[in-house]
Amino acid sequence: MTTTPVTTTSPRRQLLPPAGADRRRRQLPFVEALTPYAYIAPFFVLFAIFGLLPFLFTFYVALFDWNPIGDQTFIGLDNFTRMLADPRFWNATGNTLSVWLLSTLPQLALALLLAHVLNHARLRFANFFRMAMLVPYITSVAATAIVFAQLFDRNYGLLNWLLGLAGIGPIDFVQSTWGSHLLIAIMVAWRWFGYSTLLYLASLQAVPRDIYEAASIDGAGGWKQFVHITIPSLRPIIIFTVVTSTIGGLQIFTEPLLISPGSLTCGPVRQCQTLSLFLYEQGFGQYEFGYGSAIGVALFVMVIVAALINYLLSSRIRADR
Amino acid sequence: MKLRTSPPFVLLAAVVLVVVTACSPGSASGGGGGDPKAFEFWSMSGIDQQRSVDQYVEKHPDIKVGLTEVGSSQETAQALTTALAGGKVPDLVLIQGDELPKFLEQPQNFHDLREFGADEIKGDYLDWVMAQATAEGGEIIGIPTDVGGLAVAYRTDLFAAAGLPTDRDEVSALWPTWDDFIATGQRYVAATGKPFVDNVPTSVFYQAVNQVSQKYYDDAGNPIYADNPEVKEAFDIALRAIDAGISAKFSYASEGWNAALPRGDYAVVSAPSWMLNSFTRIAPDTAGKWDIATIPGGAGNWGGSYLAIPARAANPEAAWNYIKEMQAPERQLSHFLDVGTLPTTPAVYDDPRLVEATEPFFSDAPIGKIYTQAVLGLQPFHMGPDTGTIGSEFLNALVDVEQAGGDPATAWDRAVGNIRTAIGQ
Amino acid sequence: MTMESTTSGTATSGTATGASVGEAVTGAPPGRGRHRGLLGRVRWWNYLLLAGATFLCVFPLYWMFIVASTDTATATRMPPEIVPGGNFFQLAGLVFDTVPFLQSILNSLFVATSIGVGHAVLCALAGFAFAKLRFRGNNVLFLIVVLTMTVPTQLAVIPQYMIISWLGWVDTLQALVVPGLASAFGIFWMRQHISTTITDELIQAARIDGASTWQIFWRIAFPIVRPAAFVLGLFGFVSAWNDFLWPFIVLKSPERFTAQIAIKALQNERTIDLGLAMSGSFLATLPLLVLFVFVGRRMVAGILDGAFKG
Repeated sequence: MTTTPVTTTSPRRQLLPPAGADRRRRQLPFVEALTPYAYIAPFFVLFAIFGLLPFLFTFYVALFDWNPIGDQTFIGLDNFTRMLADPRFWNATGNTLSVWLLSTLPQLALALLLAHVLNHARLRFANFFRMAMLVPYITSVAATAIVFAQLFDRNYGLLNWLLGLAGIGPIDFVQSTWGSHLLIAIMVAWRWFGYSTLLYLASLQAVPRDIYEAASIDGAGGWKQFVHITIPSLRPIIIFTVVTSTIGGLQIFTEPLLISPGSLTCGPVRQCQTLSLFLYEQGFGQYEFGYGSAIGVALFVMVIVAALINYLLSSRIRADR
Repeated sequence: MKLRTSPPFVLLAAVVLVVVTACSPGSASGGGGGDPKAFEFWSMSGIDQQRSVDQYVEKHPDIKVGLTEVGSSQETAQALTTALAGGKVPDLVLIQGDELPKFLEQPQNFHDLREFGADEIKGDYLDWVMAQATAEGGEIIGIPTDVGGLAVAYRTDLFAAAGLPTDRDEVSALWPTWDDFIATGQRYVAATGKPFVDNVPTSVFYQAVNQVSQKYYDDAGNPIYADNPEVKEAFDIALRAIDAGISAKFSYASEGWNAALPRGDYAVVSAPSWMLNSFTRIAPDTAGKWDIATIPGGAGNWGGSYLAIPARAANPEAAWNYIKEMQAPERQLSHFLDVGTLPTTPAVYDDPRLVEATEPFFSDAPIGKIYTQAVLGLQPFHMGPDTGTIGSEFLNALVDVEQAGGDPATAWDRAVGNIRTAIGQ
Repeated sequence: MTMESTTSGTATSGTATGASVGEAVTGAPPGRGRHRGLLGRVRWWNYLLLAGATFLCVFPLYWMFIVASTDTATATRMPPEIVPGGNFFQLAGLVFDTVPFLQSILNSLFVATSIGVGHAVLCALAGFAFAKLRFRGNNVLFLIVVLTMTVPTQLAVIPQYMIISWLGWVDTLQALVVPGLASAFGIFWMRQHISTTITDELIQAARIDGASTWQIFWRIAFPIVRPAAFVLGLFGFVSAWNDFLWPFIVLKSPERFTAQIAIKALQNERTIDLGLAMSGSFLATLPLLVLFVFVGRRMVAGILDGAFKG
């Protein structure tokens, strides 16, 4: 019973009117006002140091002939004029575009089809199939590149052996232009098609079942339902995945590096050198930090263009509705 | 007011603490740090540098050597550049000869080895090899570990099956010139239906282009790669070899090259001395089936490396002690006897242990005699800062013709155009 | 009947008008064929398609194991072996002899765990601030977060490397961890999640009880969104584990390599054995496969909940 005074204060405190509580808390208005900033600060501090600063610095370094182990000379826009006249830059741009097209189109088409099938109301083992779709995503790009390069090897690869049985001569998936683009595209598509499938499935699950039901009563089969319900209702997410894969496509680096070990050009005539690999080659292979940064700026412009196209497309779709 | 220690802050603090403590040991220090008995050593992979390090540590049990095999010679040079540009540098680094001129342009990044007395020992090494490690201002930034020399490794069993001679002198007599080499290849292909040489770009072009009096630069250091008839001739020889259909089209040290070697999917490889060790490692089962003949077209050198000490090395003294001891003529000789890399110290070229050295893997070929002959008659040529880049662009153009169906008629022009783009002159 | 069809069946009968519809989906034998397409019987070719896709997803990993367990001569022989050989442990031993592989796995674990935890906690914290706290500049700051999502930082690797070297962080693990601790996407997603799952009334009530902002976050909000934060952390873990370019640039010494860079180092050692890099690849993937067996379902659920729709 000696504790009575203590026990009585605590309920009384809790019974204080809200205004009183507020007043007590406002004893530190400064701290309270700063709290939200403290919560978002870690991101912004890290972003400022490791994101924004290097980003702005890229534009600065791009104006220099910047030898990391030698001199730095200001040369204005020379790196950019050189880049625009550099066939290697356009070659890398073309390769990046080609790999992106080859990987994105089949990947998203397959993902659409698989998402539609996975959305089936009575599908058995649905969880098993969904999990299987995510296995490539958790496999690292490095491991993927090594196993695919072996599977597609010109002389000792499984695929060329199978092609040989079918009477098709061995295809050099590393040294030939189309072969190497195809190989990289297959690796990229393999890694992401299951992930895209699940993204589409997520959107599809938001489509009310009764739409399918009405179609079913009208006699529409699986294919018609796919074309007339599934695809239209997925349009926003399809655009989203196209943009994500564009931005991802501009960053393809590891696959071309690892299928041609030791070579930053990805083959004798740079036939599979992507923009990111070209940037790395110039920066860290040829010691031209300035020129490499100029390529970085070009990549940035391309990302902006891709994002703008996305914005225009998606706002048009919104307007259509 | 009470300060609360909230769990997430504890957690965050813990993460930060773990980050800092897990990473800090040695992170700030370059190489061996404060320990004068330790140094960091970067080498290329595939040339068994570990063996030398082990021998050194065995003699000096108190010294710790941290050896990193970075990758190919190009990758090692790239890693070195990024390291020099900032962050941790090794105390000792092995640089391949073609990559060295680029670093020679910026000698301030390395210790001038004259500080340690390189002047006193430089007479031990071949003059032209030493000259290639000396900067314009006279700074010596590297001590040569080996030279390549040129020779041809061939499979005696496959030659016998093709009705070709197998004795190394008779085989050498088959190909005094590169065109004779191509003709021999065609005989082999006709008899067996199998490809003859591993690939043309390295086994023919990289050899022929190193048998010249001037290569990509003239003696004054001006680039002449586009107009030098000797380079053009080497390129044309390579095109003729590709056209002759004698190549197995395996790029050197590619996965396919390694897999094909023990299988006998090609019968001939142009093999500088530093390559011999990889034969014994990749294809131990083919021991005794190989032999070594002289290279067509006369003396020449491909490859060879240098040891250098970056300016910011934490422990340059320890690194220099290693260089001085391991690259002394006597040690280069014993390294040769172990793994076959040719010494750069002419004093040992007459040593009976070298002259009489034979290699059982290569049918007891007298490798010492063969490779020293290849470098002693050598005309040194001037190397420029972009020698490596120019060489790989020529090589790439030939790989394109050989393996990707590039048009041979325009290959030279494309190569020269690519070089112009790459080096800007 | 599987769980799937039962639940979706009830969902249908809830929204549909007639009881017969629900019956057709849940109770009626599939053979009756009243419904077609998505609601009808699953056709055999649907399973064929899914089985094919599953095979595609899993086969490369299986092949990795095959090559990782045979010697070079067998691996290059045609027709190929399609069952694993007996060399797995021998090759695995070679992997551990050639590079400090165990150390690289530990490094990867450390980096990926730190980043996973960082994403889960820091993104939840910032997401909470954006969703439930009012402060000046709120909208502008959030817009900045969204904008940073679209710009890949990879294009600035050269200056990033310069900054890391000024900090003296080259060849350290904190060079991998610290820049990756928070993600814009994670903040965006946690904000969406928190604003839909936590009501303003709940927060108001807590304030009335005298809870500080921190207590509200840590005692009330975080426990509610912990499953979502966990999934976010998982994705952060996986992408950090598999990252290649940045560690490739920053790390120099074998004892600091992450598993991915160790694989690259093994690939350089082709002179030893063809299967070596493959064995390393398999060993570096194994920890994630094991993790996936336990949490894969939650990752799938995370995506299906709209987590990564953006």
